[in-house]
Amino acid sequence: MKLKQLLKIVLINIYHNKMRTFLTTLGVIVGTATIFLVVAIGQGGEAQVNEQYSRLNVGTIMVMPAQRGRVLDPLTKEDAELFQASQNIKMAFPILNGSGSMKYSNYSSNGTYYGILPAYLEANNLTINQGRFLDDTDESKRERVAVIGAGLAELLTDGNPTEILDKTLDLNRRKFVVVGILNRMGDSGSPQGFDDTAFIPYSAAERYLLGTRANPTINAIAAGVDTVQAAIQDITTILNGNHLRGGSEQFRILDAGSRLVAAQETARTMSLLLLSVAVVVLIVSGIGIMNVMFVTVKERTKEIGTLKAIGAKKREILGQFLIEAVVISLVGGILGVIIGVCMVPLLTYFEILAIPSLSGVLIGLFFSVTTGLFFGFYPAWQAADLNPIDALRYE
Amino acid sequence: MDNNLRCIIDAKNIVKIYETGYEELKVLDDINIKVMENDLTAILGPSGSGKSTLMNVLGCLDLPTSGQYFLDGVDVLKAKEDQLAEIRNKKIGFVFQKFNLLPRLSALQNVMLPLLYRGIDEAEAREIAKEKLNLLGLGDRLTHRPNELSGGQQQRVSIARAIVGNPPLLLADEPTGNLDSKSSMDAIEIFKELNKEGNTIIIITHDTEVAEQMKKVVFIRDGQFFENN
Repeated sequence: MKLKQLLKIVLINIYHNKMRTFLTTLGVIVGTATIFLVVAIGQGGEAQVNEQYSRLNVGTIMVMPAQRGRVLDPLTKEDAELFQASQNIKMAFPILNGSGSMKYSNYSSNGTYYGILPAYLEANNLTINQGRFLDDTDESKRERVAVIGAGLAELLTDGNPTEILDKTLDLNRRKFVVVGILNRMGDSGSPQGFDDTAFIPYSAAERYLLGTRANPTINAIAAGVDTVQAAIQDITTILNGNHLRGGSEQFRILDAGSRLVAAQETARTMSLLLLSVAVVVLIVSGIGIMNVMFVTVKERTKEIGTLKAIGAKKREILGQFLIEAVVISLVGGILGVIIGVCMVPLLTYFEILAIPSLSGVLIGLFFSVTTGLFFGFYPAWQAADLNPIDALRYE
Repeated sequence: MDNNLRCIIDAKNIVKIYETGYEELKVLDDINIKVMENDLTAILGPSGSGKSTLMNVLGCLDLPTSGQYFLDGVDVLKAKEDQLAEIRNKKIGFVFQKFNLLPRLSALQNVMLPLLYRGIDEAEAREIAKEKLNLLGLGDRLTHRPNELSGGQQQRVSIARAIVGNPPLLLADEPTGNLDSKSSMDAIEIFKELNKEGNTIIIITHDTEVAEQMKKVVFIRDGQFFENN
């Protein structure tokens, strides 16, 4: 029999079992929708990571104490100057990191501040929204001025950030004048995020806030993306020469490039995890298809006998039932994709970035059809393998 | 007898043994049967006589344990599974006691099926099937499904399906078993008519009234033939 006729008979059979077909496809629908969404969320996640890190210079290398708390032989401003002398490193500057209370007018909060050199702005692709950034005069004169992130400005002013400009911010009970507000950055891979941070001159932080407790980290920018490894090598050598008590072992050297890769891998692992959930759903739905196909074959045993009597070959019976399983799963797959597409706005509403794609559709349909083929095969084979007289005699 | 007639069935020493657990059951015991073209034969026997098994063997649905069987010149015992399906498709038209129509297909689609399995394309199959249904007086029932037809009509659809591919042999298993007496008579008339047009027909029945109307009757009991006419 020609495929077209076989398909026609299959469609007639399915049409007459609409309800059962629908119930059978439910699992496939859920599974396919999940796969489609997983692919969309995965791609969204990856895009989000790339977007986040696009603001971070991939040549950035962070040198920090390996353990929290006091270090025997902390990093110094001089280390940064030595780093900068290396031909593999474009820039290096120390950062002091502290936290404490922040007060402005009636609002107060606990937050982090960074004591930085003016070069930090450019190195981290930060941009000013209002006012100005810290400059060399602030640094040399240890001015008590601050530039704050957009999130912090909003938090302290209850939604009216510009009013804090040129006003006094109380930082750990020391007064700093806010001279600038940054543009919103989003999370850029720094532990706290720039948006909720206050930036003050390195020298001022050292003098007024931290004193001898100062335990800086150093940010270095490699001369180019391809010199990152060489730069790390240089940093290690300098640290070993300059910190005889403990050497470079007591510091952690991280480069942004490998953090980007790690973040991408995390996003991918997440997708893979969700994908495996979807595959489990499809396997379960496949078992459902198999069950229903078994029932169908049982129900139609006598019909199968008749078909064999009037000349149906084994492969034609096999084909008919396989096509039926595949059509059922394909219908489920198509419905699943449609439902998946409809779910995207819902995810967006919950601030989950999902990017629908053709590859998601194809992967979803592929898995649904494969499920139908795989789990439909055994019942179809049983049907094809029936002995014609036994089948005809079956009541 | 016309010597130019083809021999449709030539079966010799057919033995069929079923092994049920510990004992062997000899259902067909050395059956010899020869059916010539245009014969109208009844195989008459009570239930348990082996007539159903014989019908299965003659219909190539089952193979005998031993013996020799030529159907329209083809050595059936040498055929593989797919070849048997092809033989059933091309050489035999089955008419079943319970009609065995596919419930979800229309009368027309049911009759088209053997042609579709033969690989004939749909348009042509539809024309041939329509013609046969018209011939059997069902021209206005083409799109009806079996459950929308009376028993007699269903049996006529199944006869149309049996003859649609012009097979050399029509094999009817208790064709009147599920029909009222009026429809039974109609069915018998149809078979007689088809025979007049040259069809070779074997009817398996336990009903002597049906058997009496055939040209030739063979009795079967305990798997053996008794010819007495």
